[in-house]
Amino acid sequence: MSKGWHGKLLRVDLSAGTCNVEALNEEWAKDYIGGRGLASKYLVEEVPADTDALSADNKLIMATGPLTGTYGAANGRYMVVTKSPLTGTIASSNSGGYFPSELRYAGYDMIIFEGASPHPVYLQIHNDKVQLVAALHIWGKPTQEAEDAILAEFHGDAKVACIGPAGEKQVLFANIMNDKHRAAGRSGVGAVMGSKNLKAVAVRGTGGVKVADPRAYRDAAMETYGMLRANPVTGEGLGALGTPVLVNIINQAGSLPTRNSQTGTFEGAEAISGETLASTYLKRNKSCMGCFIGCGRVTKLSGSRYEGDGEGPEYETLWSLGATCGVDDLAAVTKANYICNEYGLDTITAGSTVACAMELFEKGLIKEEEIGMPLKFGDADAMVKMIELTAKNEGFGAKLAQGSYRLAESYGAPELSMTSKKLEFPAYDGRGLQGMALQYATSNRGACHVRGYLVSPEVLGLPEKIDPQATEGKATWAKIFQDFTAVVDSSGVCLFTTFALGVPQFAKFCTTATGEPYTDEKILEVGDRIYNLERVFNLKSGVDPSQDTLPKRLLKEPLSEGPYKGAVAKLSEMLPEYYEVRGWSTEGIPTDEKLQTLGLA
Amino acid sequence: MVQIQFYSLIRLLIKQEKLEIPACENETVGQLLDRVQQQIATPFLYKLLDDNRQLHTGTIILVNRHNIRHLDFLETRVNDGDVVAFFPPGAGG
Repeated sequence: MSKGWHGKLLRVDLSAGTCNVEALNEEWAKDYIGGRGLASKYLVEEVPADTDALSADNKLIMATGPLTGTYGAANGRYMVVTKSPLTGTIASSNSGGYFPSELRYAGYDMIIFEGASPHPVYLQIHNDKVQLVAALHIWGKPTQEAEDAILAEFHGDAKVACIGPAGEKQVLFANIMNDKHRAAGRSGVGAVMGSKNLKAVAVRGTGGVKVADPRAYRDAAMETYGMLRANPVTGEGLGALGTPVLVNIINQAGSLPTRNSQTGTFEGAEAISGETLASTYLKRNKSCMGCFIGCGRVTKLSGSRYEGDGEGPEYETLWSLGATCGVDDLAAVTKANYICNEYGLDTITAGSTVACAMELFEKGLIKEEEIGMPLKFGDADAMVKMIELTAKNEGFGAKLAQGSYRLAESYGAPELSMTSKKLEFPAYDGRGLQGMALQYATSNRGACHVRGYLVSPEVLGLPEKIDPQATEGKATWAKIFQDFTAVVDSSGVCLFTTFALGVPQFAKFCTTATGEPYTDEKILEVGDRIYNLERVFNLKSGVDPSQDTLPKRLLKEPLSEGPYKGAVAKLSEMLPEYYEVRGWSTEGIPTDEKLQTLGLA
Repeated sequence: MVQIQFYSLIRLLIKQEKLEIPACENETVGQLLDRVQQQIATPFLYKLLDDNRQLHTGTIILVNRHNIRHLDFLETRVNDGDVVAFFPPGAGG
């Protein structure tokens, strides 16, 4: 096996209670790099697409990339890949912290969990000593409490990824928390872990990661360090204000979805902005392994009617628990964020589902008696209560726990779910940003911003400024961003580095780490391969191209205010070109020729 | 009057959110920037412009919520009653 990769994966059969080490498939590793790409290849080969996501037949893969645990950018990410119970698509959720690198230092590139344990267990890894141990004593505990208990009984320096009560109860958008505050957030990967009776993975590793050409790797790393430090975003802005800096930027762009996307401008944006957070509850910033950007927000609620401390809120959470619920109470948003982290919930879907319920309530489709209380937009206390009920899967929260699509559908109004492929939109309105509308409709895991962040050119002007209302050329922008992102997610490096780094830097990293010649062209070809692999899995699972669409609200209801007043998402102007640029049929199906080119046929 | 809004690192730097100044006839954004800087004790223009007075990549200046890069850049005219917002390069996700 080439360097970069350890060449070892851990296969854990939860039904049989066995743990075995296997050689990593070398050819697949070269073709898919690692992380999202390589784990997707394993999933596609081993799990039939029509598998019930919450059955023992589904598999859960935790995968690092060949750069995870190295240095030079923010090289400490891992991916959780499985079939999503929320969307039915392939799921791939990304997280940083320290757990991913520790897994590499223990000597493994990935873990494949299969089957389901008859009783709660967690996995202990101490280098080559691996065992499943009973977890009944921590089942039901919040994530941070469970992690502390594991550290006390296993190893004080271990790194832990675990689910909270939401995952145990299979809330469809439960996440997997690691290092207490970092989340593999979207698509319900925590529910899959819960369905397998797997509470946690605890790892202690004392080895290292070898790269193929240490001197050339160091040169590549020195170049990227310089670029990241010199860039105003990665060198200063993200550390000082974190992702919440976007609240005011996106609100000014008229693209901050407000009150379940009824408008794109939130009058309370300033109160939940990054600038306000920095002057109130923010205590310090925090970095993941090997990262000097330090976008994490360490916060403490003081002087408000809510109490607590922890990390967050990030931008997406300020929006999901704030603007789209019409809530301008920063303390309430922060408190609800803490609850999500402790119980293990994706904050984006959690908040967005509450917002959907608020609109259903205000339209009279849900009665107060059913909820147990009024649920109007802007009611901060009600929002916090709904998040708590969702996290516990109790009362009306059991309905919210199904996500906004199933909730709205059950009341006869699926059009009020702000989703694509049943995954809730993140914090950008596709009517204001046409490229994001296309990205939402074509993302392989549903409406997602971190599969192709066209916000960067459309609003932030990075790497260059393009007109957010233009549709021409957006198909090409979307494809390039989607393909490049797939490689970043596969390498083990944080996506935020791409505000400063580009394809050439990743080509150098991957080449010098693995010894395989990754040219710029090959990097994008790998991304294209991963994207098509995911697409084919989705098609086989029944997520057909008719789902490459958006809610009627975005397609038909014009923005009522802001710089793009009157705009709707012009998806029909972009989607045919996107299919063409992808090399797919006019119906959105990858052609045999395309798949053969990528080695997928 | 012209309403000026400061955001992100500039707000942290100058510790000021807003400024209201009289409008000048035929004034451009570039000229307005200099006039605003004269009224703020702490230098902040370097967060928006490089040594050649070009916008940094990622600098956002809005006139009535429209990015000047889609208008006339620093030559964009500012009129009485306009709202002008300054954001140094920033990003997240």
